[in-house]
Amino acid sequence: MNLDKLSARVSAARQETEKRGETFYPGPSRIHLASFPPRERWHDWIELDSRAWPERVEKRYMLVPTTCFNCESGCGLLAYVDKETLQVRKFEGNPEHPGSRGRNCGKGPATINQVTDPDRILYPLKRVGKRGEGRWERVSWDAAMDDIADRIAAAMDEGRHREIMYHVGRPGEDGFTERMLAAWGVDGHNSHTNICSSGARAGYAFWMGMDRPSPDHANAAVILLVSSHLETGHYFNPHAQRIIEGKKNGAKLIVLDTRLSNTATHADHWLSTYPGSEAAVLLSIAGYLIRHGLYDRDFVRRWWNWKEFLDERRPGAPATFENFETELQELYSEYDFEFAEKESGVPAAVLEEVASVVATAGTRLATHNWRSASAGNLGGWQVARALFMINALLGAIATEGGTYPSAWNKYVPRPIHLPPRHPDHWNDLTWPQEWPLSLMEMSFLLPHLMKERGGRIDVYFTRVYNPVWTNPDGFSWIELLSDEEKVGLHVALTPTWNESAFFADYVLPMGHSSERHDTMSLEQYDGTWVAFRQPVLRVARERLGEAITNTRDVNPGEVWEENEFWIDLTWRIDPSGERGIRSFFESRKQPGSKLTLDEYYGFMFENSVPGLPEEAAREGLTPLDYMRRYGAFEVHGKIGRVYEEEVPAVELVNHVTDEMDRVFTEVPKPANPNVVPFPSVAPDDDGRRRVGVRVDGSIRRGFPTPTGRLEFWSRTLHDWGWPELAIPTYIKSHVHRQNLERDELPLISTFRLPVQIHTRSANAKWLSEIAHTNPLWIHPRDAERLGGLGTGDQVRVETRIGHFVVKAWVTEGIRPGVVACSHHMGRWKLGDEGQRLSMATVGIESVGGVRDLRWKKGGGSFESSDPDTSRIWWTDVGVHQNLTFQVNPDPISGMHCWHQAVRVTPARPEDRYGDVHVDLDRAHEAYRKWLDVTRSASAHSPDGTRRPYWLLRPVRPEKEAYRLPAEPESAGA
Amino acid sequence: MTHTSANAPGESNAAWAKVVDHTRCIGCHACTTACKSENQVPVGVTRTYVKYVDVGVFPTARRAFQVTRCNQCADPPCVIACPTAAMHERPDGIVDFDKSICIGCKACVAACPYDAIFINPEDHSAEKCNFCAHRIDVGLEPACVVVCPTQAILVGDMNDPASAVGEIAGRGVLSVRRPEKETRPKLFYTGAHATTLDPLAAARPPGGLFMWSEQGDIPHGVKAGNPSHANSSTAALLSYDVPHRAPWDFRVSLYTWTKSIAAGAYLVPLMLVLLGVLDWATPLWTWGAPIVAAVFLAVTGALLIWDLEHPPRFYYLMVRPQWRSWLVRGGFIISGYGAVLAGHAAASWLGRPDLHRPLAVAGLPLAAMSAVYTAYLFAQAKARDLWQSPLLPPHLLTQALLAGSGAMIPVALSVEPTAVGPLAWVLAAAGAVHLVMTFGEITLPHGTAHAHLANLEMTRGRYAIYFWLSILLMTIALTAPWLPIPAAAAGLIGLVAFEHAYVQAGQSVPLA
Repeated sequence: MNLDKLSARVSAARQETEKRGETFYPGPSRIHLASFPPRERWHDWIELDSRAWPERVEKRYMLVPTTCFNCESGCGLLAYVDKETLQVRKFEGNPEHPGSRGRNCGKGPATINQVTDPDRILYPLKRVGKRGEGRWERVSWDAAMDDIADRIAAAMDEGRHREIMYHVGRPGEDGFTERMLAAWGVDGHNSHTNICSSGARAGYAFWMGMDRPSPDHANAAVILLVSSHLETGHYFNPHAQRIIEGKKNGAKLIVLDTRLSNTATHADHWLSTYPGSEAAVLLSIAGYLIRHGLYDRDFVRRWWNWKEFLDERRPGAPATFENFETELQELYSEYDFEFAEKESGVPAAVLEEVASVVATAGTRLATHNWRSASAGNLGGWQVARALFMINALLGAIATEGGTYPSAWNKYVPRPIHLPPRHPDHWNDLTWPQEWPLSLMEMSFLLPHLMKERGGRIDVYFTRVYNPVWTNPDGFSWIELLSDEEKVGLHVALTPTWNESAFFADYVLPMGHSSERHDTMSLEQYDGTWVAFRQPVLRVARERLGEAITNTRDVNPGEVWEENEFWIDLTWRIDPSGERGIRSFFESRKQPGSKLTLDEYYGFMFENSVPGLPEEAAREGLTPLDYMRRYGAFEVHGKIGRVYEEEVPAVELVNHVTDEMDRVFTEVPKPANPNVVPFPSVAPDDDGRRRVGVRVDGSIRRGFPTPTGRLEFWSRTLHDWGWPELAIPTYIKSHVHRQNLERDELPLISTFRLPVQIHTRSANAKWLSEIAHTNPLWIHPRDAERLGGLGTGDQVRVETRIGHFVVKAWVTEGIRPGVVACSHHMGRWKLGDEGQRLSMATVGIESVGGVRDLRWKKGGGSFESSDPDTSRIWWTDVGVHQNLTFQVNPDPISGMHCWHQAVRVTPARPEDRYGDVHVDLDRAHEAYRKWLDVTRSASAHSPDGTRRPYWLLRPVRPEKEAYRLPAEPESAGA
Repeated sequence: MTHTSANAPGESNAAWAKVVDHTRCIGCHACTTACKSENQVPVGVTRTYVKYVDVGVFPTARRAFQVTRCNQCADPPCVIACPTAAMHERPDGIVDFDKSICIGCKACVAACPYDAIFINPEDHSAEKCNFCAHRIDVGLEPACVVVCPTQAILVGDMNDPASAVGEIAGRGVLSVRRPEKETRPKLFYTGAHATTLDPLAAARPPGGLFMWSEQGDIPHGVKAGNPSHANSSTAALLSYDVPHRAPWDFRVSLYTWTKSIAAGAYLVPLMLVLLGVLDWATPLWTWGAPIVAAVFLAVTGALLIWDLEHPPRFYYLMVRPQWRSWLVRGGFIISGYGAVLAGHAAASWLGRPDLHRPLAVAGLPLAAMSAVYTAYLFAQAKARDLWQSPLLPPHLLTQALLAGSGAMIPVALSVEPTAVGPLAWVLAAAGAVHLVMTFGEITLPHGTAHAHLANLEMTRGRYAIYFWLSILLMTIALTAPWLPIPAAAAGLIGLVAFEHAYVQAGQSVPLA
């Protein structure tokens, strides 16, 4: 072969690429080598076959972008579609993706494992025999869809809308399904959020309305994390790259984590706090800033709702800022470093040093808390609230290097149909009165609520959601899902087998990252972008001239995608359109026919993404073609301080300013193609729209809170029964030492590993090869105390409702007196069906209310279509701990407080590795105890409604449905 | 930018190097899976992975990472050890491999001080990181460089000071793994921790467990981490590594033994003839020596071929020899020796004993070299410190005399009973010398931690049973002048036990 000619033809190197007038993607190495092939060649790229090496065998690929569906980061992927076989050869990153910038974590490349997983579900399955018996028959999509649609239609006709529920784990998309439920008029959205992020969301939402942080790590002076974003989380890879970038630019990194995470190891200051003490530490830092006058006085004066606070708490005293400052001093004087040391175990001197570092940040303080402490503890929401208080003190909000509110860094394009409908009913099974302030649905309580209050779900969809395994108290979920009286039809929409799908009536296979359509936008830096997920083989074949009308025609087996599934299902629910639903899923171009995804996304990209049509036109492409080709588009670069923006005069016709300096206008809201959800800010009594707040004489946009300002004091918390918690305070966790028995330890059960993601990655062999077990982290001092335990020794971990048996990992990487166990592992299956790669085969024994799970067979090698499965050299798959966890619903945020009080002892002679033992009666008692500390809307609502209307809520029902019923209603009725 | 890929691939003026910046590495394993994906690396083997070591004591503990892979040495031991030049160095400095000519002898695996080479279970050929040469040749950065979230891995040209690698190579604080091996790695680390660079610095956790994985009980496996203690004053615990394999199994242990017999069966009778103890015409010399030697030489050859991953390719050793390889040199020595033995037997058969003397002029050195060359072959396994012993050549010669006398005693008993006595004295003497040399081996402090650990594994670890059995049997062999037959048996069995302990202990030290 003439190698010069080869170079001229295929080289991606700078000189050759630029000679051809194509895009050179520079890599980190800053040399002539490109990080990616020029995008002009993505339709036909030649690479040399790595397996045939050193023979230079040319392979032709079409590079089709899509979006990763492993964690929540939505990183870009480029699928290399082999033009000869029309199969995906590999996945790389997408350099056109503004969030991930062409880079990925280990899960991105491993997507190919999921696509070729020999145990994946390829056809729709219907159960045979009793639910959970493990026998299945293949059915046609048509038969399954008709059956499901008929049941839904009947429920609608009989006014049983509340019996339709869609329960989602990882949404992986922006709004498609919520809009569908709105179109159906069904208050049936249920999520995983209360086992995930409700704690942190609540803390943020009570401050600023918006419920997530978007830290600008790359430009920060100080990065303060209550998280492990160098290995996991919202948003692992995009944030990790920017945190390291920030560090390299001189930022100091402070990490609060009881456990030595990969993030903590990079920290300039690692604070291993006793679990639940994080708010005390953060408030001591806030207190330091206050005591020493190191906060941004002007920012606090302009943007905090201090007047409202003084009016309420110090009526009669002059409402001056100076008086507020005096109050502030007093309020936080108790949070000194000695107090924080007592609570956290971190020496006061260390805390003072850290506080002095934070004080140097100015407006360049990037902070983040998402799960971690706020997901672990009673009152965890105050961790996020205390953390954001530091930003609020320094004015480091939406500043360069500071922390942005999520919604301003997110772009959700308006779709072709935006149903104006709101459900006319309220679903008490997801939004019970006892938790009026819960950030999201009380999803994980469903078995207990239904046990206690009755109710029925006729059609229950689980989608990328595995409550039996993921939720606490999974045996209660098995009870619920096995009960055909309570759950009429369970439809599991999932790409892979999971523990909940074993208890389904239909298991309907849905595509992985490269087998489905979705749009995503995530707040990962100060900017907004839209990314497109697409079925890459469909795109490739269409580009080669084939006409494909259905994604399942190109996916493996009959694997489908949700978008097409929901459109089809909706048409079957409302075939004639008389229910008024079908119209939202109808083509505009050809009325009376089904909306195609080309039209749906074509409209969206054409009309709702500013700048995209122009950019596409420059390349002679339609906006849809542009997105099909490049997969992502940055809508806006720098967003900046939206709250400081002056409201333009055109929006201020006939405006009024109320006594709280809130400004209302008669001008209707300008059309906005970005439909990202915001809290619902109340109009004034005359129905004028709130447009801003008056600050120092000028009218600014402000924040989407009731006051338009940052709510240091939350009237919402105050009025709904929690006046003592209306300002950022420290709540002692349920695992605070005073709440534990002498021999109990807190168990941190939520930490993630960089190569796994909940139950979605158990089908990736390269990831399982790296991480496949979850020993109990225990400090050598505790190991010694417990009888000289060594690494690998089996221990029994007793929770208050049961126990599990696991191995010990004796490590200096954890605080003495605390144990930790990663939650990824411990997958199981009951019979032949399942992921052999990472599931043990188990038996479950039921005696009365007691359940015992025991391994029959562990993991290990097996024969399959993939020769690699015979090379599996590990046999451990870890232990399922969540089964033994009681539900701990926080009375305010509704978050399941994950940390558990446990006793650790050496395993007993009768114990076997992997054993799980649970007492369901004790589990229900535990629920009742937490229920007892709630403050119900029926007793505390200030206005006769179930929930503050302004708070975010998916598929928001119409206002009338918010009214509390005159008499207690039975759930599901 | 001065470089273009207009040069033919691999023939540019570049000097490719990589820098791994551990102040950036977050231990996410993206490089691991991106490499698996790009190069379709099977489960159970890796071209690159990220090792973790937990260092220190709460609350000042930390975790150190090390991206672990081929070091792209400027003086690559694998290239020197490879008998067919399947492992080779491109003009641009990339140490590359050609699977089509790999015979699967694993000499490269044995040579690599970084344990970076493995046999791919799909194609049975040696493989490792080659800087994604197939990507570099079409103008793309290697897969691990592209995927890394924190841009911790950089590729570049040492001749280009404007590149990030050139800049760091010049001005950075660099370290490399195991510079004492004189390989001059072109994989540089910045911010690497002493406890990851030294494979013995961190203790191997008990219980077969790492932080989130099993250590792996694989056939002929070598678990990472120091099994006895951490070779570091900081508390250093290995918290993640992958299972490793020793390249040469019992077949190589056995080969050293059969080869000793093959060499000794000729050498010992010749020595006795030359000393005038035996007559040139004794059947022990005319027939016994060539037959016993030839049989064991044939077994030796069979073992060597059996040990290859590509047995049908064994003749590549002869037709495409890479002359620096002692496998090649040894192959030719053995072949020459085999030819002498054939000539010797032919001369006996043709009734031309006069030819035995001229043949012995070549036979003596060839037999001795057949016994001894393995010392050089083992020395070429640069990774294995135990084998880097200046006493190994005389020791192997001693073992050949021991094996040869032991093997010839039963032959002498039937064809030349008068030779039994002299043979027994040779056996006893060689056994005594072997014991003295072994005593020296195990009692002298070893120059390196690796040799020390290998010695521990041999005398007190996994191979102690073989070792002490050999010592016991060898002591029994000293009784040969009085109990020739039991002593011969004890000597031969003792020797094979010793070979196994020595060959396997030499490979038992974790290298990565």
